[in-house]
Amino acid sequence: MNAPLTTGKPLCISGLTKTYETRTGESMEALGPISVDVAAGEFLVVVGPSGCGKSTLLQILAGFLKPTDGTVSVNGEIITGPSIDRSMIFQSYALFPWLSVLDNVRFGLRRKTIPREQQRSIALQYLRLVGLQDFADKNIDELSGGMKQRVAIARAFAVNPSILLMDEPFGALDALTRRFLQRELLRIWQEQQRTVVFITHSVNEAIFLADRILVMSSRPGRIRAEWRLDSPRPRDLNSDQHRRLEAEIFSLLDEEVTKTFSWAT
Amino acid sequence: MNIASAKNSAPGPGRTSHRRWPANAVRALPFCYAAIVIVLVWQIVVDITKPDPSILPPPIDVAWTFGHLAGDGELAVHAGYSVARVITAWLLSGIIAIPLGLLMGSSQHFERIVNPFVELLRPISPLAWIPMAILWFGIGESGKVFVVFIGTFFPILLSTVAGAKGVDPVLLHAGQVFGCTNRLTLFRRVVVPAALPSIVVGLRVAFGTGWAAIIAAELVAAHSGLGYLIANGMDILRADQVLVGMIAIGVLGFLFDTFFRYLQAHYGRTAR
Repeated sequence: MNAPLTTGKPLCISGLTKTYETRTGESMEALGPISVDVAAGEFLVVVGPSGCGKSTLLQILAGFLKPTDGTVSVNGEIITGPSIDRSMIFQSYALFPWLSVLDNVRFGLRRKTIPREQQRSIALQYLRLVGLQDFADKNIDELSGGMKQRVAIARAFAVNPSILLMDEPFGALDALTRRFLQRELLRIWQEQQRTVVFITHSVNEAIFLADRILVMSSRPGRIRAEWRLDSPRPRDLNSDQHRRLEAEIFSLLDEEVTKTFSWAT
Repeated sequence: MNIASAKNSAPGPGRTSHRRWPANAVRALPFCYAAIVIVLVWQIVVDITKPDPSILPPPIDVAWTFGHLAGDGELAVHAGYSVARVITAWLLSGIIAIPLGLLMGSSQHFERIVNPFVELLRPISPLAWIPMAILWFGIGESGKVFVVFIGTFFPILLSTVAGAKGVDPVLLHAGQVFGCTNRLTLFRRVVVPAALPSIVVGLRVAFGTGWAAIIAAELVAAHSGLGYLIANGMDILRADQVLVGMIAIGVLGFLFDTFFRYLQAHYGRTAR
């Protein structure tokens, strides 16, 4: 439905595992093995209990962490480190407080070989997309949390990435702002046709946003279940269909959380 | 309704007349008040104990001497020497300590090599270096610059290291994701600007310690500078001259600190 144009898999995760060495020298399996293919333009949402390794997964996708085993490839190329081709939206915004709103959006563009004049117009275009064109010259500390995250959204889309990684981007926002930004994000995503990998622990958020939902198991995080959603957006979370899905996902997650606690004791 | 509108209109003219006061003048008021109290207490002590003027002269005598020393330019010359020495040493410290601190803060390996030296040398007060400075450099300019250098170096170094180390890891990640793929670009585009507010704090603190160190160095070995002025006053039993020197030290130190606070407020405001 939203998957258009290209034929190749923009993101291919195969046999991915991550094992940490604990301080006592034991090895602890944090993740996987996980194998997932993500189609072009797909909005993939990963839900899981806390500590299941979903953030580790995203860190590996971003290139901050090396997997213990397995590979991640983007458009057929195996990733080796962070790249501007996989931009990211962080839960804590991660805007550069010494730069103006406009320069934050321009930051990534400056690293690409784009003429100065064009950088500015692209940045302004994306600020307009998130409705902050009048705030271009403001300082970051003058903005509210919701506005900051909109700047971060503009910054992430502006660099024209193959994939957008989002690490619980709305987790720090109040419920109203969160609802608003979920809608905004969908609008922008539909306009821009990007591939998104979105991490959250909110089942509602997942149902509201996703083309496909992956539910992860507790540690070591594996893919426990998968749903494809093709109900039209904006979705009514109170419809029977979505209510039923929510209940299903919750019952799975409850099982997983229980496992975590029975391990701990 | 009436009450509300009365409330709304009343502060209008009042506030505008209040705003006629420049903000700076309002901020200076507490300090003027403190100065007046100090002078009053001083006068009362003089009136009650009637000390010998070579022990504690009355404020008016000191004001007179101040006017005299300021009038013939002697005060300005001494102040100029002290300020020039501090600025020279402080700039020198900054040129060395800021890059060193940034490197220490961003490379654990490098920090492990350099830090032991810093921790061993840092507890030695700059004042303890004065005798060695005289032995090595005599009583020329370089000895005093050296002492102030020691006094300003560590505050700048430590807050630079803290600034570079304290960069929010998520900003480093953001830098990497948005194209700073090699360490140098990440350093230039993220680490340095993120550490800047902390560096500015270090520069400000260092100027204060440097200002204290120069007076001490001039007390011991100098023919010029505010430290020399007060040491000389003591030698010739001129308490009024000593007090003029002290006042000049206080006022200049205060003005410099105010200046740095201003810089910090306007250019160092990036610390979240």
